[in-house]
Amino acid sequence: MSGEHPGVAAALAARVRRLESLLEQRGLVDPQELDRALEAFLARASPANGTRLVARAWADEGFRARLLADANAALPELGLSMGGGLQEQRLKVVQNTEDSHNVIVCTLCSCYPIALLGPSPTWYKSEAYRSRVVRDPRAVLREFGFVPGPEVRINVWDSSAESRYMVLPRRPDGTEGFKEQALAALVTRNGLIGVAPV
Amino acid sequence: MGRVNDVGGMQGFPPVREETGEPPFHADWEAHVFALNRALIGRGVYNLDEFRDAIERIPPQEYLAASYYEKWLRAITMLLAARGVLTEEEMAGG
Amino acid sequence: MAELFSPGDRVWADRADPPYHTRLPRYARGAIGTVVERQGCYPLPDRRARQLPAEPEPVYTVRFAAAELFGEGDHTVTIDLWQSYLRPAGRAEQR
Repeated sequence: MSGEHPGVAAALAARVRRLESLLEQRGLVDPQELDRALEAFLARASPANGTRLVARAWADEGFRARLLADANAALPELGLSMGGGLQEQRLKVVQNTEDSHNVIVCTLCSCYPIALLGPSPTWYKSEAYRSRVVRDPRAVLREFGFVPGPEVRINVWDSSAESRYMVLPRRPDGTEGFKEQALAALVTRNGLIGVAPV
Repeated sequence: MGRVNDVGGMQGFPPVREETGEPPFHADWEAHVFALNRALIGRGVYNLDEFRDAIERIPPQEYLAASYYEKWLRAITMLLAARGVLTEEEMAGG
Repeated sequence: MAELFSPGDRVWADRADPPYHTRLPRYARGAIGTVVERQGCYPLPDRRARQLPAEPEPVYTVRFAAAELFGEGDHTVTIDLWQSYLRPAGRAEQR
């Protein structure tokens, strides 16, 4: 539920400013440090990191294998990491195949690999997604315009503990010889979550 | 029988609506709530599990009606009041 | 804490409905699944949320059939579960 009524948003903004000011008076928060941390987070974490990982995995079978076996160890090969947050979380990359497709959710709250990909989309956090995708993933995928064939087995991953999940989509046909940058451009955030084929 | 956040498999929710091209945060206050929470957890005022617990204890009607970062803000204020760091009155501006 | 389960083991998820924070979703309670892999050891959030001491314990990726969870569906749901949420399931389904 993003996009509050402007009056509500203004009231919330005022509440947050007051809270921050009170916490600063108590010596618990440094507003400049907050801004710095926010900027640093947004600079390093974005879906582009995920698209680069996918492109490399498509172009390099050895990297794909390493990424699937131990993603945290493979990330530094592209200068990436799951650190920079409260603690470095375990990243698990799950690959789509011809007969299996993966979809990620956190039914209990909204866990997501934010250290790598940045904040999750609003719909991912919604009760609508969290309640429905574990029970009827095909109906949810259809809402995103994606209809896997009946022979494709769907597996939904509920991120209920300390691991964070990312999907490795299948490489589209007709992309032989594409450079990595061009491959990365084919990958969407929705593909990394599993509500799109790529 | 389970808390309001435990919605996996629950029936009756609407189709998923995607906002294409949405920004990481929709307003500065959301980004500040995000950063504040990290800072408070980093300082040990509360831990991540206590934070999730607080969100889950938001009264169900409020939980379902609140936007994502509104839930966060509510949980943060609940924890700060419970820890005696700030009072509800102070935070409400009284 | 000793690791009780290995990949391939059948386990069933606890039935309890605790009055406190937990990371066992209610849709999996009492369901039987298969351990896919171990994730490492982490302190139990049920205790951490109440500021109780919590030793790291094994967490497992456990796969459940949709039919087992919801009575319908041809998909699977994989959930990450602390060892405290799990019991061994023998060959015969014990509930």
